[in-house]
Amino acid sequence: MTCTVIMAVWILAAPALVQAADEQLEKVSNDRPDRPLQMPAASSETKEAFDDFERFARRGSWERATKALYAIPEAQAGRFVDGQDGFIISVARKRRAVLSGLSPEGQAAYRLFYDADAKKLLEQAKGPSEQATLERLYSSYFLSSAGDNAADRLGDLYFEQGQFDRAADCWLAVLGERTDSEISPAVLTVKAALALARAGRRPELDAIRAEMADRYADEVVTIGGRKAKGAEHLRGLLGDPGLAKGPDPASAATAGLPPALPEAVPAAWQLRFAASVTAGMTALELTQWEATSFSGAVPPAAVAGQTLYVNYLGHVFAVDLASGKMLWRSASFHNLEQGTMQGQSQMIDPKRFAILAAPGFVWTLGRDLKEMNYQAVSRLVCRRAENGEIEWQSSDIPDFAGIDLAGVPILARGVMFVAGKSSNSMSYGQDNTPHQFVLAIRPHDGKLLWKTDVGVFREGQRYYYYGMGDSSPQPRLVYRAGSVYIDTHNGILGRLDAESGTLEWGYGYPTEPAQSQYGRMIFFNGMPSPTSSQGAASAPLAAGDAILVKGAKSDRICALDPDRMKLLWDRPIARSARLIGADAQGIYLGGPELGALDPKTRVLRWSTALPGGSDDGQVLVRPDGLWQFTPRGVFEVDPQSGRVRRIFRGDDAGSAGGDLMLTDGLLVAISNRTISAYPRGSAGAAQASRGGVAAPKTGGSND
Amino acid sequence: MTRSSVAVLISAVVMITASARPAQAQIYDPTGSQTGASGNIDGFAVAGRGVAAAKPNRLEIELEVSAASELTADAIVKYRDAKKRLQDAFSGLKMGNVKVEERGLNVDQKGQAINPYYMEMPVARRGKVEVQLKRKLVVTCAEIRDMDEETLLKLVAKLLDVAQDAGGKIGGQPEYNPYYGYNPYNRGGGGGMVRFILDDFDALQEKAYGEAIADARSKASRLAKLSGVELGRVAGIREVVVPGERASVMGMGGDDEVHRKRLESTKFQDIPIRVELQVRFDLAAAAKSEKREGTK
Repeated sequence: MTCTVIMAVWILAAPALVQAADEQLEKVSNDRPDRPLQMPAASSETKEAFDDFERFARRGSWERATKALYAIPEAQAGRFVDGQDGFIISVARKRRAVLSGLSPEGQAAYRLFYDADAKKLLEQAKGPSEQATLERLYSSYFLSSAGDNAADRLGDLYFEQGQFDRAADCWLAVLGERTDSEISPAVLTVKAALALARAGRRPELDAIRAEMADRYADEVVTIGGRKAKGAEHLRGLLGDPGLAKGPDPASAATAGLPPALPEAVPAAWQLRFAASVTAGMTALELTQWEATSFSGAVPPAAVAGQTLYVNYLGHVFAVDLASGKMLWRSASFHNLEQGTMQGQSQMIDPKRFAILAAPGFVWTLGRDLKEMNYQAVSRLVCRRAENGEIEWQSSDIPDFAGIDLAGVPILARGVMFVAGKSSNSMSYGQDNTPHQFVLAIRPHDGKLLWKTDVGVFREGQRYYYYGMGDSSPQPRLVYRAGSVYIDTHNGILGRLDAESGTLEWGYGYPTEPAQSQYGRMIFFNGMPSPTSSQGAASAPLAAGDAILVKGAKSDRICALDPDRMKLLWDRPIARSARLIGADAQGIYLGGPELGALDPKTRVLRWSTALPGGSDDGQVLVRPDGLWQFTPRGVFEVDPQSGRVRRIFRGDDAGSAGGDLMLTDGLLVAISNRTISAYPRGSAGAAQASRGGVAAPKTGGSND
Repeated sequence: MTRSSVAVLISAVVMITASARPAQAQIYDPTGSQTGASGNIDGFAVAGRGVAAAKPNRLEIELEVSAASELTADAIVKYRDAKKRLQDAFSGLKMGNVKVEERGLNVDQKGQAINPYYMEMPVARRGKVEVQLKRKLVVTCAEIRDMDEETLLKLVAKLLDVAQDAGGKIGGQPEYNPYYGYNPYNRGGGGGMVRFILDDFDALQEKAYGEAIADARSKASRLAKLSGVELGRVAGIREVVVPGERASVMGMGGDDEVHRKRLESTKFQDIPIRVELQVRFDLAAAAKSEKREGTK
């Protein structure tokens, strides 16, 4: 009888237990040992202090509860603990959040204990230590009677420094959490609206303007010595297009006519760079060259003005877009293959070469193929755009020592941002795990503006054998409204303040677990890679007010509201998928197939397999079409239905496909062999190409 | 000689005597079958071969449609769209002799390849499964026998281009890395992009059988003549090679194929219809004596 009862209880409880175990496994935490990357973690004493606070607060032991919080040393304020919804937040932010969550009795007790300290600190907030003191007040004493004043003053300081995001947070905190404040809410609202406008946080701006109109429409406030109603202030200031307007998404790729190619158009010009490498090769040499991953490498390219800059395996060259003539090159392509045949160069991932161009300068990232050191790091080199002369390079600057720069650098507000990892040669010793960094660099002279530690890897590269490429996913950066976001592709999306480099928060998404429980192995013979289902490392994607994240080794796609720190939605997705674009009609995905998710329902609307798949290559995404350069030509896909509208064979048959770029007058197709530029086509051709024909049209000079 | 030595000697003699059997000539069985015709030669057993040849009457291109995703609903959308695109592309050709046949649908989980060099199993993904839907599509084009080479090449090029432009994987993707060893179940390797099929060969087969019997009789007559005996009636026939019957490897891999009699080649050329028969003839004298014994 007893056995039967136990069995019955067990059978009934088992599903619940299994579900609980699954949920536990799914929960993303910065402290889980199987997470591949850990943000700078708070000490266990700090985490215990938060636990103590909660325990004492539940019992109503306010003095002991708050004391537990104040036992946390200030040095821990910038370390990270788990927040809500998968966000990983700083200790300072969490401390303010838990204090704000105190009951009215708790708040009253808190003020009784800490008001005197807070007022004393506020009086001391002068001179050089003003900001630091105000930050401490804002973080630790926000609930005190001096907390609102401290936050207001701190907001002013941040606004003056151009840190609009942080300024807005300070004023919004007073408006939202300190309803007892004596500071005029109308003034705070106007200030917050201005900061939000400058930070580009449009949805919050719209909300606060609506609130202004509802609640403080007739209240007169003085801003900059001018007295007016709050709404008038906002109308006057935000009416200026330089203030309210966010970054203009229009560029050559999205503006103008679609790249409709007529039936049979020859390339305006074509540069056959790979032919220089293979010229004069014997059949055996050609076979050996084609066996390396370098022969299939599509060189990254960038356009500045009327010049195209290309980084072909570390050989940088410039091409005049009008004529297709090579303007300069950093080295001859001849004998390039000799470097690629060496064991150490075969460990280089050809996808780790990057290029960035701006008027006057061009920056390239990559390894020197002739470098004999197996653990050599990637170099960032700045060249003069007009002649390719080196202006500076990271290997000459001590600040970059021991950092292996990776991913694609970005330029924003006159600053270059690039991700880096402590190099293998530097990561063994007392602290034997590599760190993930983000660096801000002054572009014209390479001066390091700041370097922020985003996290520590729980393991390095596990396997080594000759011929093995670097298998680690490349971090990707994106700039948005005063913040730099880094998708580490190791389970963490981090947000950093672009001005100061302060790591504000992280979001932990599910990803492939670290596997350091297995031993490292070294193989001395080349071997084929195991079947990989790892997707390409796509950059975080701005989609309206949200940021979309899809880690290279993650099986979920997440949409975040980065300003309100909320997970808007997430859904399972194939691990092999990558983000390629988003607009009001859809969220477009690459991978083995092109696909589109409905932005509202998040249902997979269509999926279209193209020759060679869509795992790689820069796809042109516009509201009027998607264009992908495949081994069988440029495919134009209808974004509504996924139907292939047109196939343009082009003049590069037999290549591996590659990237597409759109300039004012040209569609530039960059493959592993050539750069071909085609005229963008006329409006008539564009209309014809989008006509309702069932079978795709084909075209090209070789057709 | 000791008593034990005597015992050993006697035992050895008994064993040798017991194992001795009369020698028998065995009929060589070219198929190596243990249960095949074996026994004493009584008459002549000869192999007769007959061959007839004809050009293939149709061609086949094998495509694979597969889709995998974390959500089964996504996998279904991907699979459905991929299959529809291929079918639409071929129906868009408006060629009456081209049709797309579907083979069995496989629903499985997309797994990580096991790499024996890593000496470990793939990392457990906490019960997460990517559902994979996979199906073979076979594009067949009939009435190709009378085509000249130029026309056929144009047809093949058109079919291959349409298949690839529609995102089809020709021949499917190998699931097993051949570097790690031989995969006995992989029958797709070396099959070629295009298979030429001959499946209307009944009349030719009859002809080949006739040739095989005639060939056997001719061989047996020669042997009888050389041996100085008279050839009797046919005592037995066994089919050794029969055209159009494909053997599956260990019974695997062939379960999604349409079972029908066919011959295939990777080349557009005459496909031979081979028949091999093992025919046993009695001796005429033996037959007569048997007859006599019967009348007694």
